Amino acid sequence: MPNVTITVNGKSHTVDVAPETLLVELLREKLRLTGTHVGCDTSQCGACVVHVDGAAVKSCTMLAMTADGAKVTTIEGLANGSALHPMQEAFREHHGLQCGFCTPGMIMSAVDIVNRKGSELDEHTIREELEGNICRCTGYHNIVKAVAAGAKAMKGGAKPARAAE
Amino acid sequence: MSATGIGAAVRRKEDQRFITGSGNYTSDITRPGEVRAYFVRSPHAHATIKKVNTKAAEKMPGVVAVLTGADLANDKIGGLICGWAITSKDGTPMKMGAHPAVAADKVRCVGDAVAVVLAETLRQARDAAEAVEVDYGVLPSVVDPAKAAAKGAPQIHDVAPNNMIYDWHLGDKAATDAAFASAKHVTKLDIINNRLVPNAMEPRAAIAEYDQGNDALTLWNTSQNPHVARLVISAFVGMAPEHKLRVIAPDVGGGFGSKIFIYPEEVVALWAARRVKRPVKWVSDRSEAFLTDAHGRDHVTKAELALDANHKITGLRVHTIANIGAYMSTFSSSVPTYLYATLLSGQYAIPAIYAEVDAVYTNTAPVDAYRGAGRPEATFVVERLVEVAARELGVDPAELRRKNFVKSFPHQTPVIMAYDAGDYDASLTKAMNMIDYKNFGQRKAASEKNGKLRGIGFSTYIEACGIAPSQAVGSLGAGVGLWESAEVRVNPTGSVEILTGSHSHGQGHETTFAQLVSDRLGVPIETVSIVHGDTDKVQFGMGTYGSRSGAVGMSAIVKALDKIEAKAKKVAGYMMEASGDDIEFKDGKFTVKGTDKSVGWGDVTLNAYIAHKFTGGQLEPGLKEGAFYDPTNFTFPAGCHIAEVEIDPETGKTTIANWVAVDDFGNIINPMIVEGQVHGGIAQGVGQALLEGAHYNSDGQLVTGSFMDYAMPRAADLPSFKVDTTLTPCPSNPLGIKGCGEAGAIASPAALINAITNAVGHENVPMPATPSTVWKAAQGGMKKAAE
Amino acid sequence: MALEMSGEYDLPQKREIVWRALNDPAMLEKCIPGCETLDKLSDTEFQATVKLSIGPVSARFKGKVKLEDIDAPNGYKIVGEGEGGVAGFAKAQASVALADEGEGCKLTYKAEAATGGKIAQLGQRLISGSAKKTADRFFENFVEALKEYK
Repeated sequence: MPNVTITVNGKSHTVDVAPETLLVELLREKLRLTGTHVGCDTSQCGACVVHVDGAAVKSCTMLAMTADGAKVTTIEGLANGSALHPMQEAFREHHGLQCGFCTPGMIMSAVDIVNRKGSELDEHTIREELEGNICRCTGYHNIVKAVAAGAKAMKGGAKPARAAE
Repeated sequence: MSATGIGAAVRRKEDQRFITGSGNYTSDITRPGEVRAYFVRSPHAHATIKKVNTKAAEKMPGVVAVLTGADLANDKIGGLICGWAITSKDGTPMKMGAHPAVAADKVRCVGDAVAVVLAETLRQARDAAEAVEVDYGVLPSVVDPAKAAAKGAPQIHDVAPNNMIYDWHLGDKAATDAAFASAKHVTKLDIINNRLVPNAMEPRAAIAEYDQGNDALTLWNTSQNPHVARLVISAFVGMAPEHKLRVIAPDVGGGFGSKIFIYPEEVVALWAARRVKRPVKWVSDRSEAFLTDAHGRDHVTKAELALDANHKITGLRVHTIANIGAYMSTFSSSVPTYLYATLLSGQYAIPAIYAEVDAVYTNTAPVDAYRGAGRPEATFVVERLVEVAARELGVDPAELRRKNFVKSFPHQTPVIMAYDAGDYDASLTKAMNMIDYKNFGQRKAASEKNGKLRGIGFSTYIEACGIAPSQAVGSLGAGVGLWESAEVRVNPTGSVEILTGSHSHGQGHETTFAQLVSDRLGVPIETVSIVHGDTDKVQFGMGTYGSRSGAVGMSAIVKALDKIEAKAKKVAGYMMEASGDDIEFKDGKFTVKGTDKSVGWGDVTLNAYIAHKFTGGQLEPGLKEGAFYDPTNFTFPAGCHIAEVEIDPETGKTTIANWVAVDDFGNIINPMIVEGQVHGGIAQGVGQALLEGAHYNSDGQLVTGSFMDYAMPRAADLPSFKVDTTLTPCPSNPLGIKGCGEAGAIASPAALINAITNAVGHENVPMPATPSTVWKAAQGGMKKAAE
Repeated sequence: MALEMSGEYDLPQKREIVWRALNDPAMLEKCIPGCETLDKLSDTEFQATVKLSIGPVSARFKGKVKLEDIDAPNGYKIVGEGEGGVAGFAKAQASVALADEGEGCKLTYKAEAATGGKIAQLGQRLISGSAKKTADRFFENFVEALKEYK
């Protein structure tokens, strides 16, 4: 079996994998990082989004071997120790999740949107950019609010403002 | 209101694990020595199984066993059942065909399991499944419910001639016919309520483990009601006695009804685990989920509304054919009957209603409860009829509604329900103000100037939640009671564990239930934990569906808290040498009435356990109480949704320009969570109305079997919603709660289709109103207008 | 059946030769796209293995090819049906008619195809294109092979 050397959340791993192993299988089954989810088998739902060398990737579409030498960040590696990432904080603050299953992929996609589009995101942009992530619980209303607030907070490096009650 | 008590928008306690990737869903669990299961499924909609040859598969690398329907029958594992008995007009019981977990003689829909491969890895199991040879004798199939009962249609179950499961009715036929005979105006509609796939984002999964030493089984599964799963798998499937079967539903990634039911795969996992004496793990992939999760809706309906000269509704008559699919799923029979026809009075005082429902088998996946379950179908019938009647009569649809609203409570409808409280005028008026109804004409004119069509549509819905009381539902055929249980365990240090029979799969019980306890006991919310979803921890429960957890589940907690308070007062009494009757409890403090003598919560809980201040004869040590709560009535959430759309007649694209929802959910524990439930419900209703439709081709193949072909609502398909509430407390439970989980999905399809038909100028716009459908309708509508 | 197709081809050979070719297992094996084996069971029945890809699903179908309604040398119906294991099944039939035309002959066909299981579920949007392409490729192969057919 070939092996793959991959840095996940700052930690280097060398793992034997069958050539057909997907990145998401490597993460979930070999490294037991089960925060990255599998919600479909046609690369549509986005529950498996992780960052590979800084860019959002659906880890169900990438072979583990292709990620050899890459730096991968999963939802487990987003927070800085016990301090949540501003986007994580924004999802909680704005009730951007219910069952939580799509959430890791949503948050990883959201951070990527900010990385690409900046921190001033209007509703239309956020909705268009979330094309690749499906949520069945929230109707997206609060996810959109969370992404906008999280984006602002990422810029300020501060905690997002508490939502109006 | 305290910052963490009832009515506060407390941020969710459970979110910490979900936003950090630390959730614990069934598929995240790995058991030592587990094998993976992969099912061989029928590619045919209807076929006899002539032979299953597993020899080659058994020799493949890593294969532990290949099991078939014949093996299941040999081991005397019972079939799955539907737990709600419906009786036909002629008094005969519903005709339920056998549903083995693995088919042995015949497959009845694409996706029916014919064998299961167990192997060391999933890939090995999948590869070996390729080598299982099944010899099918292909039979003709039927997928359209309107054709299933026709002469010469393929016969799916021998016990159900003409594929008819029951022909049921409700209401007074003679009185209704008389109302139509004397009506001044009759509005008629043919309605297809489109078939939907629930598609919770977490696919179903099951892990079963056999403990040889104790001859006991444990099942981790994606269930909305683990206790009912245990009961059915024990009592009907005969897998193991209840006390030898533990069912754990850990974090569950959405349900929407589809995870209420007992499914073949969890039965197979348990059976296989005992056979191979190793843990068996099965995780559905999305393709399997499309084929095997119970679908929703799928009604074909003829509906009529009778009105008198004063525009008062005098009668409503409905005939519905309900597609049950290839097998009767766990609660399938109740959905198109007692959850549907009983809501056909809507928010209106209608003197006579008569409904007939034919439930039929087809060669499609089973159909059962999906968010709203029967009530969206009823609301769509009533709210389309009323809107169309208003248009035909040339009156304002809001005014026609107002004229016919139920205005005094309690109100007995002709279809069982006794509405206990509501103010339908209030929610309609508030919604009209929020959407600026009086200036709609200006907005329409502005759209027309830009070559766009604009329409507005109402849906003043009612639903029945917290289905109960048990005695009543029992008399209607339910096989179970619909109460809820709670146990409150107070620890010596004062922290509190609530064990509930409700199950959270997105609803936020860990927060809302804790708010109730924090409010009631005056303890910090951080010191309250909610335990659910494990039959070894929670003694029994009925689970979460039908918007019942607030109204029923929390009421059970209130009852148990009453007992805790009573006992704690006694403890405090002994501590302060006063009678327990003289103790007042407020904000976590016990005070002797009329004095300044008091002790705190933590002192009392400690004393309850150290028991130094009273003898065993005076008081039992400890502070733990349980309660079962059986409500006195259903609850009746109601409200008004108004949708405003703009349509591009050139492309048929519908844009939702405005959406307002004003709901009366009774008292609210956490407005943030309630709003979230409304948003999600609306999204699913918009999905039904605009995007989603499960379609089988004439060969019985599901051709909308992936997210590439089945249009799930995505962020850009939806607007932001304007959501508000009105309040009439529910008189049927101690918290005055009505329930909010399904309202959005119930109200929204009718509002949206009413808006689209208003925009295009005629009524023939079937769901889902995709751009091509709306384009055709817009062309027809414009032609009609031009004539 | 779910899908219908038709087409016609001008062939560079006499009708009798074309007819013989249409009944020649070696010719069929050569022309059926993805055909890996074709074993004669009788004059009108063959056991076949065909590898097919439709959209994301690729599978090896094992099944039978039968010749029915034989009207030598004017035409027949060719019926194929194969099981592809977990991928599902595919079946197709084509009525083929030959008529003299100038130096050669004209072949017209009317075909129907249906699929089931995963291949129908996931490949649905691609099936009509794939089926048409498969039918076209069969006849293109046939025209090509006929040039050297004796």
